[in-house]
Amino acid sequence: MTNVRENNLRKIICMEKNKIYALRKKWFPIASSSDLVKRHVFQAQLLGREFAVWRADDGNVNVWENRCLHRGVRLSIGINQGSELKCQYHGWRYANRTAGCTYIPAHPADAPARTICNNTYPVKEFIGMIWSGEDAIENDFSYKELSKRTVLRPVPINAPNDLVQKNLLNYYSELNFDGLLLNDGSIEINLGGKKKILFFIQPQDSKLSVVRGVLNATLSDEKRYHFLKEQNFIIERFREKMEQISENLNLEPMVAEIEEISNDLGEPPTKEDCGRKAELRLHVSERILTSRDVVSLKLKGIEGQLPTFHPGAHIDLHLQNGLIRQYSLVNGPGETDHYRIGVKLEKDGRGGSQYIHNNVKVGDLLATSAPRNNFPLRRDSLYTIFIAGGIGITPLLSMSKALHSMELDYEFHYFVQSEKDISFKETLKILGERVIIHKGLSQENTINKVRKILQKPGYYKNLYVCGPGPMLEATLKIASDLKWADDTIHFEYFKNDRKINNDSNFEIELARSALTLTVSAGKTILEILRENGVDLPSSCEQGACGTCKVNVIRGDIDHQDVYLNATERANKNIMMTCVSRSLSDRLILDI
Amino acid sequence: MIKLYDYLLSGNCFKIRLILSFLNLNYEKIHIEFYPSEEHKSENFLQINPLGQLPVISDDGFILRDAQAILVYLASKYDKGGTWYPVKNTDKIGMISQWLAFGDSLTGSASAARLHDTLFYHHFNIEKCRAMAHSQFRILDEHLFFQEELGNDWICDGVTPTIADIACFPYIALSEEGGISRISYPAIRRWLDRFKRIERFVVMPGVFPAGPGP
Repeated sequence: MTNVRENNLRKIICMEKNKIYALRKKWFPIASSSDLVKRHVFQAQLLGREFAVWRADDGNVNVWENRCLHRGVRLSIGINQGSELKCQYHGWRYANRTAGCTYIPAHPADAPARTICNNTYPVKEFIGMIWSGEDAIENDFSYKELSKRTVLRPVPINAPNDLVQKNLLNYYSELNFDGLLLNDGSIEINLGGKKKILFFIQPQDSKLSVVRGVLNATLSDEKRYHFLKEQNFIIERFREKMEQISENLNLEPMVAEIEEISNDLGEPPTKEDCGRKAELRLHVSERILTSRDVVSLKLKGIEGQLPTFHPGAHIDLHLQNGLIRQYSLVNGPGETDHYRIGVKLEKDGRGGSQYIHNNVKVGDLLATSAPRNNFPLRRDSLYTIFIAGGIGITPLLSMSKALHSMELDYEFHYFVQSEKDISFKETLKILGERVIIHKGLSQENTINKVRKILQKPGYYKNLYVCGPGPMLEATLKIASDLKWADDTIHFEYFKNDRKINNDSNFEIELARSALTLTVSAGKTILEILRENGVDLPSSCEQGACGTCKVNVIRGDIDHQDVYLNATERANKNIMMTCVSRSLSDRLILDI
Repeated sequence: MIKLYDYLLSGNCFKIRLILSFLNLNYEKIHIEFYPSEEHKSENFLQINPLGQLPVISDDGFILRDAQAILVYLASKYDKGGTWYPVKNTDKIGMISQWLAFGDSLTGSASAARLHDTLFYHHFNIEKCRAMAHSQFRILDEHLFFQEELGNDWICDGVTPTIADIACFPYIALSEEGGISRISYPAIRRWLDRFKRIERFVVMPGVFPAGPGP
């Protein structure tokens, strides 16, 4: 007896599961477009799975798993900041579109790992409703857009989906409206005179459905109000009936399967994934001369989402002529459907910028690395000062846009030679009064100006500088003279102008890999490591970007980079393997 | 000087803290420990309010109990703009009174469910409390949806919030502590956001702030 019952039960459970799997592939409306008011987070549910649904200020609609990756708190109680969604609990921020984590307040000096990314679900906005489906397939969407429409007030009913589906048609026919059950599961009710309501039943949970209707006509104010009231009244009476029938129905709630987070989320990326690799293919969708000799390129992905970036990040461009060049992203928070870079023509440069200016056109395909950030922005600063010289504006622009959207205090100083050299004017206009442009100052006047700007170092004040070498050096010296603490000064060089001395011969001992290797004159540590199968991420390979940083356990480091600050050098425990060497016979490295 | 006999976790006391903040009034808080010592049922407190309920205010010796009554009193006396309780607008006063009663009725449903779940009031029939709260939320959600249709952001008609919004806010904002989800009430969820963006809004444990508005 028991066995038969158990078997039957198992069969039923199995059938139910298969039914749910099939339903997950379908598109369902989960909200009205008008539900997503500005700066709001809508709480939705489909087949047991909860979604946090929010519209960014650029209009993009996000449908995400309704939980923060940190402690599982619902993101629907979080804060929609227009370009990022902030969790209410510990303030983790997630980017519009990609759902990648952009900031962790408990680690203000670091950029979060790119692998910290929430689950996103397919989304479409159609006939005044937001549509989604856990496993919905893009091309399976068969509904036609209605140019004229009035969306009814959605009515949640505590009854199973199929019951509601089966009875809605009958209910309207009792009221003398004929209708049709269409193949796609929607219900068409004929109101007469070409007016029709199309109904969709959203299966929210095993015993909770939402009736969502749309009329194929646009109604004017008063008519609209009365029509909505009238239909709402009808559907609420229908709701009473359905809830009476299903009152004593005991159904288990649907369980959304939560994938286990893979272990490697907690680990640094594996070594095989590192190195100067061009993992992205981007096409140039826009090319603008933003000032006299700076070209701004908008790069779009070929398919899917672009990896999340953080303010201050750069990408490597692998050019067709074999050169690899680094360019900072200019993107603000939430601008996640493209990357934007600014390239200044360096007539006496090494050929990268000339190649881009002369050869790269709209439509071209470029191979690039994913964004990498060795110049992260603290967002816990009470006051931030940006000093940009020339094309050094690019990473600082991305940072100031982030602070601007969070309404944090900052000032932005932009040193240029002349009016014609001002790049990204539109963005500067948005930042408004906080931008101060210094035009055509002599070297001496620039130094005086910088001294004035940095006059008052203070508690929780941070300084970010990017610009040509001499200006950077002067600024860092002034900051240090004025007693700015080392960890409040953040800088990024374009390139390393120091003359590299690679005459020394020494040994490196890799403490974790149990290897000892010899670095001879003319070779870098990085090259020797790679020749011996030990891969390490790198980017500029000239001691400017900070990507190939390693920890040093013992030995006397011969620093030749421009990335580390004085304190970091004095600590004698980090080095850049692409240019720096050893003063002692042996270095012990933590790799 | 206004004195408020107050308990931090009480939604009814929160109504008074809200209006005092909205009207930018100085006041003194007198802490009455509701849980676990039940100070509101103590001899001393019963002399102030024989019903043994919070909140109570004393305004220069004038003692008043009942959250809704206090809202009416404070708004009538101290709201210079006359928008929170427009005494001369009879229709609106009628409307406000109707929703004050609604706000009060949440004490027996959403508030009771919360006391059951968080402060060990196990003698309450939790299923009944929740069911009653859901039927009340349905009414308010529908009302707010059609208010939005008419261009009204608040429970009563007009461009500014009234004490009716204050009376309804706390136990709705705290409902999830009593196991009452608001997922089926999108118009209520939007109204909560708007309410939290009123100038000088204050929070209490369990009520989170909204971000900057549109």
